[in-house]
Amino acid sequence: MDIEFIVLLSMLAVFLLGNFLLKLPVSLSMIAGAIVGALVGGEGIPLRHLFEGTFTYIDTILIIATAMIFMTVIQESGALEALNAAIVTRFYKKPAIMLILLMFMIMFPGMITGSSTAAVLSAGALVAPALILIGIPKANAGAILAIGSIMGMAAPPVNIPAMLISGGVDMPYIGFEGPLFLVTIPCAVFAVLFLGLRYCKNLEIDKIKAELNLEIGRKYGLKLYIPIVVLFVLMVTTRLLPSVMPALGTPLIFLISAVIGLFTGRKFAVVEKCSESMKTTIPVLGKLMGVGMFIQILTLTGARGWIVVSCLGLGLTLLYAAVCIVMPAFGAVSSYGAATVMGVPFLLVLLDTGDQVVIAAMLSFICCLGDLMPPTALAGNYAAQIVGLKYRYVLKHCVVPFLVCVGVGLICLLKAGSLGFLT
Amino acid sequence: MKKIKLEKHHLITAGLLVLCAACIVSLSVQFLSMREEEPIYPGPGVTSVEMLSDYYPDLAGSNGDTKIYVLDSGVEGPSMLVLGGTHPNEPSGFITAVLLIENCEPQAGTLYVIPRTNHSAFTCNDPQEGSPMRFTIETPGGERWFRFGSRATNPVDQWPDPEVYVHASSSQRLSGSETRNINRAYPGRTNGNFTERLAYGITEFIRQNDITITVDLHEASPEYPTINAMVAHEDAMLLASQASINMQIEGMNIGLEPSPTNLHGLTHRELGDYTDTLALLMETANASQGRLHGKMTPELVVTGQDKYYYRAGLYGALYVDFPETGIPLDVRCARHLTGVVQIANAYGEIGGEKGILDLGDVPSYSEIIDTGIAVYLDPTIDGWGES
Repeated sequence: MDIEFIVLLSMLAVFLLGNFLLKLPVSLSMIAGAIVGALVGGEGIPLRHLFEGTFTYIDTILIIATAMIFMTVIQESGALEALNAAIVTRFYKKPAIMLILLMFMIMFPGMITGSSTAAVLSAGALVAPALILIGIPKANAGAILAIGSIMGMAAPPVNIPAMLISGGVDMPYIGFEGPLFLVTIPCAVFAVLFLGLRYCKNLEIDKIKAELNLEIGRKYGLKLYIPIVVLFVLMVTTRLLPSVMPALGTPLIFLISAVIGLFTGRKFAVVEKCSESMKTTIPVLGKLMGVGMFIQILTLTGARGWIVVSCLGLGLTLLYAAVCIVMPAFGAVSSYGAATVMGVPFLLVLLDTGDQVVIAAMLSFICCLGDLMPPTALAGNYAAQIVGLKYRYVLKHCVVPFLVCVGVGLICLLKAGSLGFLT
Repeated sequence: MKKIKLEKHHLITAGLLVLCAACIVSLSVQFLSMREEEPIYPGPGVTSVEMLSDYYPDLAGSNGDTKIYVLDSGVEGPSMLVLGGTHPNEPSGFITAVLLIENCEPQAGTLYVIPRTNHSAFTCNDPQEGSPMRFTIETPGGERWFRFGSRATNPVDQWPDPEVYVHASSSQRLSGSETRNINRAYPGRTNGNFTERLAYGITEFIRQNDITITVDLHEASPEYPTINAMVAHEDAMLLASQASINMQIEGMNIGLEPSPTNLHGLTHRELGDYTDTLALLMETANASQGRLHGKMTPELVVTGQDKYYYRAGLYGALYVDFPETGIPLDVRCARHLTGVVQIANAYGEIGGEKGILDLGDVPSYSEIIDTGIAVYLDPTIDGWGES
């Protein structure tokens, strides 16, 4: 038995022991797993590597922290209530169309930023109350947010796993729009209708209206929406017009929009409310740091190499199985990590089986689904937080859409040779 | 005065704070050690040492300013620029540049060597890669150490990365992680980010010195398709063809690939498009930068020996023959050094208008394969200057 396999087993065992038996937080369990992995791998306690790994997701952590502030501001200022009242009263007669439009709203920030976290924390937070108001149970609403944000992350124009995979083989990020739209739009539509339509076929609008806050919109008018418009405009212009608009970075965009939101609606105790929301997110930020440390030790000890080479040795049929199982599973650590660590070697092995761009696009699509994998499950975690549930209840409802998405991705991967016209 | 009663949790908190402080001090010492430059001993061929900021003053005093070693034969002829350390996690490029600085004595034309092209990237490592900070080579005159840096500019010099990197002159979009990669930033720009300004400095150096040939030395992971290869801009294709024939004659197989016209920001594309230089890039196979390697150690960097790469080779997952004995730094540097010499020779052979570039008596491919690079890195050799 390879020592690297023993290292991997010991890391997983310590993580599971810490998290499930000792009830330690995920972050501390991952740190314990990383330390034990380093010891078993003969590295002692490599302080520098443990520390360096935690910095892997510092940019993501900043995005999450600032997005939480933005979310708090639009909730407390009343913008969220006003927006939901507007959506529901306008579209309640055509629930299927309303659901699809809401799904596209959830997807949009993900399409622009390439981040499911940004999508779920911005548009997801806006849409969630509307979904719940029209009768969709919280767990289903959370699942819609989670799947929608991931479809947005995978959809063009910005799909970061696809960029990472294509960059790994020096393939320009060109021609990905067709294949990515082919899988993301149908999967998103299926997911929202599957999870939500049965609950809102016969909406009793009077009952719903009684729960809506119609007053806040009348009191502050359109200015309530200014922070959302600013967020939208800054996200779009910095991405689509880079020569005109300098890259501000998603954290700064969230902060600018949040600051504007302080002056456009209901007044509230800013420091107190923002502190409360940050407290709820710190465990997830800790998870990300633990995950970074975990990967660094996997690489240092050679366990990462063992995983990848073991997959490559499976033969083509089992390789497809590995694409569908191991790549999303690696998302438990990081979907971006899955793209660089697994996506690039898988693409190189599959190059001869079809159109390269289609293959890379499908691999990236399947990688993105890793954002549903516990314990990190970024999309699931934040979707659950927004609807006020534990994330396991949300993830349970994501299973069917997840399997459908993997199935669609696999079919397109197998048919990559005949989908080249999309690129 | 009110007495504060120390309770158990106060002591635990204090203990944790002391532990954190000790970790911070220890880590600071480790990370700051990456700023110490490894010695390079200029050989008898080095006539002067300049700085990149001499050509683009905006870089002066920054972590991007870097030394340019000038090896002027005194005989009029073409000039060649060798870029090492574009990616400091690809050590054969850097070590080959050092070998040239310490061993080359041009007889005609001028050789310019920039060993640390992205100087900033030598001062950090890539998170998640588990890289060593240093590796060593035992020479007859003692052990020498070299840094194993990052593919990208130190975040201390340029941060944060956007989600998407847009290449300025082509509007090509890449993953945000490429924002700090100098080999996606050419030709660079004065009002750009730190890395784009470094790239501009290199481009400006080439323009101001009217450099005839530019060779950028790289390594790639063994699972990467462009490997053991030379990539040439279309203007340099004739030169590259002749050089590759010469290399085959020396017993070294090398592939030749045209620079893709739709892949922007790289030396072999942009320096060829934006300057008059003949732009080429060479790749060797480096197991320590790939995704498939086993335990990450300084020895892996030098020996290139890895059981998982060997296994992946048996599965047919690699683009290079990967023997059980690995692909050592000796072989990788021999390939690069031979490539540089044969490109210089080829310029005269194809009748280059500026005449002949003669790099003199540089160790040949077979000599390095026989003896290893260590004997050519011996700091006690007569005639070498102070680092």
